Amino acid sequence: MATTGSTSDEVLDTDEGVGEADSEIESRVGWRYTLGQVKGDPTALAGLVVICFMSGLAAFATLDAVVFDYLSEYAVFAQFGMRKYWIAETFWISPVKEPLGARRLLPPAPLDNAYGQGTWDHPLGTDDRGRDILVRLVYGSRIAISVGAIATVVGMVGGTVVGAVAGYYGGWVDDVLMRAVETLYAIPFFILVLSFIAVFGRNLAFVMVGVGIASIPTFSRLIRSEVVSVREEDYIEAAEAAGVRDRNIIARHVIPNSFAPVLVQGTLQIGTAILIVAGLSFLGFGVQPPTPSWGQMLSKSRGVMIENVWFSIWPGLCILVTVVAFNMFGDGLRDALDPRLKN
Amino acid sequence: MTDPILEVRDLQTHFFTADGVVRAVDGVSFEVYEEEIVGIVGESGAGKSVAAASIMRLVEDPGEVVGGEVSFKGEPIVEFEETEAGTRRPTDAMLSNREMRERIRGREIAIIFQDPMESLNPVFTVGGQLREFIEINRDVGESEAREIAVEMLREVGIPEPRERLDDYPHQFSGGMRQRVLIAMALSCEPSLIIADEPTTALDVTVEGQILEQVADLQEKYGTSFIWVTHDLGVVAEICDRVNVMYLGQMAEQAAVDALFHDTRHPYTDALLDSLPRPDRTVEELRPIAGVMPEAINPPSGCRFHTRCPDAREVCRQVNPDARDVSESDERPHRAACLKHEDVFHEDYWSSPPIDNETDSGFAVGRTDAGGSGDE
Amino acid sequence: MGIYRYTIRRLLQAIPVMLGVITITFFLANAIPGDPVQILLGPSPSQSEIAAIRARYGLNQPLWQRYINYVLGVLQGDLGRSIFYGERVTAKIAERMGPTLLLMSSSYAFAILTAIPLGVISAKRRNKPTDHASRLVSLVGVSTPSFWIGLMFILVFSFHLQVLPSTNLVMPWANPTEIRSAATRLDVLVMSARHLVMPMVSLGTLQMAALTRIERSSMLEVLSEEYVQLARAYGVTESTILRKHAFRNAQLPIITILGLQLTSLIGGAVLIETVFQINGMGKLIVNSIFRQDYPLIMGTTIVFGVVFVVGVIVTDLSYAYIDPRVTYDEVD
Repeated sequence: MATTGSTSDEVLDTDEGVGEADSEIESRVGWRYTLGQVKGDPTALAGLVVICFMSGLAAFATLDAVVFDYLSEYAVFAQFGMRKYWIAETFWISPVKEPLGARRLLPPAPLDNAYGQGTWDHPLGTDDRGRDILVRLVYGSRIAISVGAIATVVGMVGGTVVGAVAGYYGGWVDDVLMRAVETLYAIPFFILVLSFIAVFGRNLAFVMVGVGIASIPTFSRLIRSEVVSVREEDYIEAAEAAGVRDRNIIARHVIPNSFAPVLVQGTLQIGTAILIVAGLSFLGFGVQPPTPSWGQMLSKSRGVMIENVWFSIWPGLCILVTVVAFNMFGDGLRDALDPRLKN
Repeated sequence: MTDPILEVRDLQTHFFTADGVVRAVDGVSFEVYEEEIVGIVGESGAGKSVAAASIMRLVEDPGEVVGGEVSFKGEPIVEFEETEAGTRRPTDAMLSNREMRERIRGREIAIIFQDPMESLNPVFTVGGQLREFIEINRDVGESEAREIAVEMLREVGIPEPRERLDDYPHQFSGGMRQRVLIAMALSCEPSLIIADEPTTALDVTVEGQILEQVADLQEKYGTSFIWVTHDLGVVAEICDRVNVMYLGQMAEQAAVDALFHDTRHPYTDALLDSLPRPDRTVEELRPIAGVMPEAINPPSGCRFHTRCPDAREVCRQVNPDARDVSESDERPHRAACLKHEDVFHEDYWSSPPIDNETDSGFAVGRTDAGGSGDE
Repeated sequence: MGIYRYTIRRLLQAIPVMLGVITITFFLANAIPGDPVQILLGPSPSQSEIAAIRARYGLNQPLWQRYINYVLGVLQGDLGRSIFYGERVTAKIAERMGPTLLLMSSSYAFAILTAIPLGVISAKRRNKPTDHASRLVSLVGVSTPSFWIGLMFILVFSFHLQVLPSTNLVMPWANPTEIRSAATRLDVLVMSARHLVMPMVSLGTLQMAALTRIERSSMLEVLSEEYVQLARAYGVTESTILRKHAFRNAQLPIITILGLQLTSLIGGAVLIETVFQINGMGKLIVNSIFRQDYPLIMGTTIVFGVVFVVGVIVTDLSYAYIDPRVTYDEVD
């Protein structure tokens, strides 16, 4: 399987001809150049704008749902009335409580059905329990973005360490580590995460770690192939000759110089992770109700699909737009790092 | 003297890149007569390969032949006319892509590329590839094409050709693959073969053998060759006439002997001085000062003036075309240098010399890298 | 080395990987909190009942003993007995395997048959409207959750237009006499196709999009190769170049990806089986996780692992078959 791995890397990832600079100074120049390239790429920029917007929403939702919840434990803050969903409940609608006399509504378009005409109070309509869909989508972005990003960071860090060590030391260390990674890869991603959640519970943190661990093989293979080529560079040999400790060589020289393709893969991986988390929530393995998440909203929408078509469209669109944005930005980064692959 | 089989007039091929227009070939003229080997020499980046590809109309995007004429046995391969708006457009007489494909490529003009490792398709057998091209260009059936292929492989010196037909390219050495490509070109019986640095990637002994063999085969089949190279040694060995290119333009055009012994252009002089020769020591080698400027922003006037030891002020203003500077030779000897005042009338000798050693006006002229004609 | 010896060597190499899969699944499954016996017997079973069940499933032995027993069992093709169903795990999997394999293979077929032409056209008309359209399709395709595509299909084709059934997948090999409204084999096949089309496209879209991207870039790379230029220089027509000189080379990366994409295909199958209520392996594993049916969780995961490993070996074999540069000695 080693061959397949490396061949596919060549295709999927820009692990050759990236032209990473040799010294740290030069590599910083390289990054600036990369960013300059991305600026000139409208698709990548559009992706970045959407990513920033969604991340902003997610940050806001995290503040309101998690930070305030945590701070409200302290009397200092509680006396202001600080509580979970403080902002939402003060200025808008609670994303979790079912309103009294809740009505299920369609969006305020000229769409009549058994639910009655929508109102501008609920611009996207309401869900199966009469809760506003828009506010739940906003608060659901928190799960998608945070799980996507944190899971990817976990996978990136884990994969980078494993791949760098395997690639740098070679020999039996390489054999053992890469066999282990292959094993992890042989268990279908989704099923690995499912079992992981089954073991550790449906806690959000474990969902993140589970998705992260399941993405370790992708990153470790990628960085290993980078490291194997970087290892042969003169400056690494010079550092070895100068008696720098292996651990420092890996951390200070090997990893920074192999990192560009990992970053590209990471951007794309966030998109994949968001899809996986949505799938998990859809099956009921994600965050538990009433906390809103896009996948779980889709799962709920199945029950009222005929009555309220829109309920099953909005969350799907949110996932689609977010993942498209990560893919567009990731592709832009890749093109900037390796212009040879462009078009 | 008979008419040339290939005539190139003022050929212009430009590349439209994001950074601007690269004039890779900028007004090049030369001709090829029957049964002769014509060299095109120059440093890398001089536009030799682009010129060769332009003759076949095989310039790849973003490159485009934008002007000039190429005619092969009287047929217009490239021909432009002025529109009322003052722009150029291909004439109606110019061969269509289909005509190029069916009548010219392979059948009349064949090409051999530089890198024998990349020129053969790795997933098909050598025999299969030879046979396909022979079938297309000689109108023969499968078995006959196979016989032609075997015969031709034997001619180019491949042992046990029949057995090797079923081998894949990776089972051949570099030299053997280049022989296959030469066989491929010859087996289509074209009138002209364009060899684009075919021996550059090979080691010297193999190169020698192949050159010798090509010379023999050329005599036997009477095919004309355009031999693109950066190596004047190869030119001396194989060519009848030589065209020296510099930065998309012609510097000097002459018969081989005249070029080597009666050099009329300072660039050719410089190339010859940088050439290692058995009768000289390393100390005597003089690399050409500086590197060739980029074709995207060529120097004003004569393109070589930034590196030319004989440059004078007038060279900054006037860009000479290659004109006949021969005295009474039977064949023309053209050079694009204002030194030949009796031909160019530009008051060269009264113009103040430019000192390229101290002149900081052209930063490119100051680097000492690269240099020799050998890249 | 011959192809047989190569295959055998690859199978031998797969043994440690499979052993690893068994180990990971065993310990993961056994670490799942909660007592399956409790779930099985309801809220207040008698002590003797519990003891009997525990003894029956070997749950009274220490963990390492159970691990060794399990590994030995797997080697003999015995995946144990499902706690929930009481049946042999192998029998249960065999029963559920058909729909999943049908779903997966038809999705792959759909993906390959659409992605290859799309990618080739895209490469050939680079930066023309067709190319932009195809790139948009593949960008959206890799970014859309498969289960949402499924939901949208049900919404449009089952609820709104009422042209396609959304549940009760009929297997093409089902006995016509056992199915209402089907008299002949042809009826069954038609029914089956109508049932299959929505799950197939939902599951296959992601693969299709991913393959299209790779096909396009790989085709572009091959089209800029010197041997393609040489073919052009010898008067070969553009369509022959595309069909013959470039096509085969461009498929090499596709083949590699097909093997590796199996893992995402399996994950997608779990979701799609849930959306379309197909009784396959995917639904089986989700349900057994809910029911904490360890033997069934382990069994299904191991079988999926085998599917993946075999898929990758087949991939490598066909790779060597297409590319003469890869001899069976060199592939390692």
